[in-house]
Amino acid sequence: MNSEHKSGAETPVIELRTVNKYFGTHHVLKDVSLSVRQGEVVVIIGPSGSGKSTLCRTINRLETISSGEILIEGQPMPAEGKELAQVRSRIGMVFQSFNLFLHRTILDNVTMAPMDVLHIKRKDAEEEALKLLRQVGIEDQARKVPAQLSGGQQQRAAIARALAMHPKAILFDEPTSALDPEMIQEVLDVMTSLAKSGMTMVIVTHEMNFARNVADRIIFMNDGAILEEGAPDEFFAHPKTERAREFLASFRNEQKESEL
Amino acid sequence: MNIGELLSQYGGKYAIALLTTWKLTAVSFALALALGVLITAMRVSPIRPLRIIAGLYVQIFRNIPGVALLIFLVYALPYLNLIFSYQTCVLTATTLIPASFCSEYLMSGMNMIDKGQIEAARALGMRFTHVLRKVVIPQALRNSVLPLTNLLVATMLTTSLASQVPMNPMELTGLVSHINTHSVGGIMAFVISAALYCATAILIGQIGSLIDRKVRIVR
Amino acid sequence: MKNEKNNIRDFLYDEPGPKAKRRIIFWTIVSLVPIAFLLYRMTVRFQENGQLAPQYWSFFLKYTTWRFIGQGLLGTLEAALTAGAIAFVIGFLLMRGRISRSGILRKISAALIEFTRGVPTLLFIYFFFLVVPQTGLKLPSLLRIALPVAISAVGVVAEVFRSGVNAVPKGQTEAALSLGMRNRHVFYKVIFPQAFRYVIPSLISEIVIVVKDTTFAYVINFPDLMQNAKVLISNYDAMLPVYLIVSVIYILINFLINQLARAVR
Repeated sequence: MNSEHKSGAETPVIELRTVNKYFGTHHVLKDVSLSVRQGEVVVIIGPSGSGKSTLCRTINRLETISSGEILIEGQPMPAEGKELAQVRSRIGMVFQSFNLFLHRTILDNVTMAPMDVLHIKRKDAEEEALKLLRQVGIEDQARKVPAQLSGGQQQRAAIARALAMHPKAILFDEPTSALDPEMIQEVLDVMTSLAKSGMTMVIVTHEMNFARNVADRIIFMNDGAILEEGAPDEFFAHPKTERAREFLASFRNEQKESEL
Repeated sequence: MNIGELLSQYGGKYAIALLTTWKLTAVSFALALALGVLITAMRVSPIRPLRIIAGLYVQIFRNIPGVALLIFLVYALPYLNLIFSYQTCVLTATTLIPASFCSEYLMSGMNMIDKGQIEAARALGMRFTHVLRKVVIPQALRNSVLPLTNLLVATMLTTSLASQVPMNPMELTGLVSHINTHSVGGIMAFVISAALYCATAILIGQIGSLIDRKVRIVR
Repeated sequence: MKNEKNNIRDFLYDEPGPKAKRRIIFWTIVSLVPIAFLLYRMTVRFQENGQLAPQYWSFFLKYTTWRFIGQGLLGTLEAALTAGAIAFVIGFLLMRGRISRSGILRKISAALIEFTRGVPTLLFIYFFFLVVPQTGLKLPSLLRIALPVAISAVGVVAEVFRSGVNAVPKGQTEAALSLGMRNRHVFYKVIFPQAFRYVIPSLISEIVIVVKDTTFAYVINFPDLMQNAKVLISNYDAMLPVYLIVSVIYILINFLINQLARAVR
């Protein structure tokens, strides 16, 4: 995607420089460096507990880091206050457990931040929200509260909520892990079309087929460090490290079992 | 005395007593709510001394017996040259105690909120006061409707403390004791007050569950 | 652990940045000023009004004072335990009535529960103190305090029991019935033992309310802690210190009971 951009020719949307993080004595991120170009889709995979979710959450400072640097559009990540909120408003996030505001309707969920943060008028915000809900295929659910929707619908609403802020990039933290199998595809479809439209995306996921089809680049994490990164075809066909081979093999076995 | 005699002699006083109980309850509850919110804000604040003070407040006033507090206010404080009217003392007791419970209910209402929603609000660029106004407070309040309804009933029951000091006009409990010390009111004097309390409690309960059904957060 | 977030305060705020940290330290120090000032004013007030004089406090060093307070505590304990036992039994019966198959029984029980929950303890106290003697019935003073306190607690106890019974999964009843157990057996052998375990913390918390309500014993001259406090006051002419200490004792007892309930939970 966006092959006309030469890497290095412009500032990356997201850049991490030798980021380290500790939970107490536990070293959860080890010298992680990563840069995400405008329009790039980066998929982070790895065994559970490898730090990929934590990495994703540091990018909008839902997790703080112990050392290193995070740059958003070339600017260092602010530590607090107005500046931090401003950066967050430009980086969307989609969570594993949807995290919709349970006391408000789907429409309110999508319009709340645009109205409060961007000071968009209700009428315009609602118009935009309905457009986005149509885009993710749940326009008819706008007046319901989250609990009335299926998991897949809730996650699509959460994506619409993130899109309503017109973000520079969206972070997806295991967006399909909490879903029943039959609902996974509808969410992945929405994400695929987002990727095709040129959205910059960082995705933590266990959906290997999706990763292979959508990613511009695969990052393989293990034990808090990036072990491998590269083009999806290259990575899935010829993983360089033993750990990645084991990881992929375990997935193939799982797939075979589920096919039986 | 049968009910006819009672009502003809004391009917007006019962009406006034009921209104007095209602008024005491309403004022105490409003004050307790305001104080409870303040205490709760202190308990979740990042300022440690405020947290300690608020925690101490809750432990003291949820555990002290109402009479002990009232007697302390009425009879012991004058030894510190702090003299307040009976009315003020009663109102203080019937406010301080419910406020501690109010804070407990608001705290558990807040703790029921899923942390993911707060993170989501933050990730959308909402600042602390926004998150508080749009997510935390509305949800905490919706979670607390039934406990606060029960608190309103409990506050009403607490106002019976007023019968322990000379008050004019008397509330429902004081009136029963008054009637029975001045004439043989018998069981009916008691029954009328009890019925009025009960009717109020049931009314509050019904309104409370009506509101709860409207605003409850479906999960 | 830092990532173990389960208290509202842990996720209400962002992880503080350098400015926020400085602000917190600043306000922490500032907040200490009025607190220190209040403590100081309180001490001065005690001093100015002569309430710190040794005569008001020295008798707390005497063994007899504490023995007397201890006796009062025993009275409180006696009244609370008696009331608690009565409330437990009647509360259980009301719960059985509330969930019985007979519609009339259910209605009567529900009405009684509503009634006892909607009437203040003091009114029941006056009923036993002023109204019951008019019928010629003479109750011992222990019952004159324990009965009203118990009655005002039974409604809550019944509802606590009921919530416990409701919390036992339906499958338990079905499983027991499918084994050929009779209804009564199912309730006493399968349902209630489980329900009881669920509600132990709530029952312990209810004891706090019972203990608090026993303070009304002074209305009827039953020798509980509150009543003995009055005697101490007249002996030593020390109203403020005695009520202060007695209040602290009540607060501590109830605090400990609440902690126990939490530990069991």
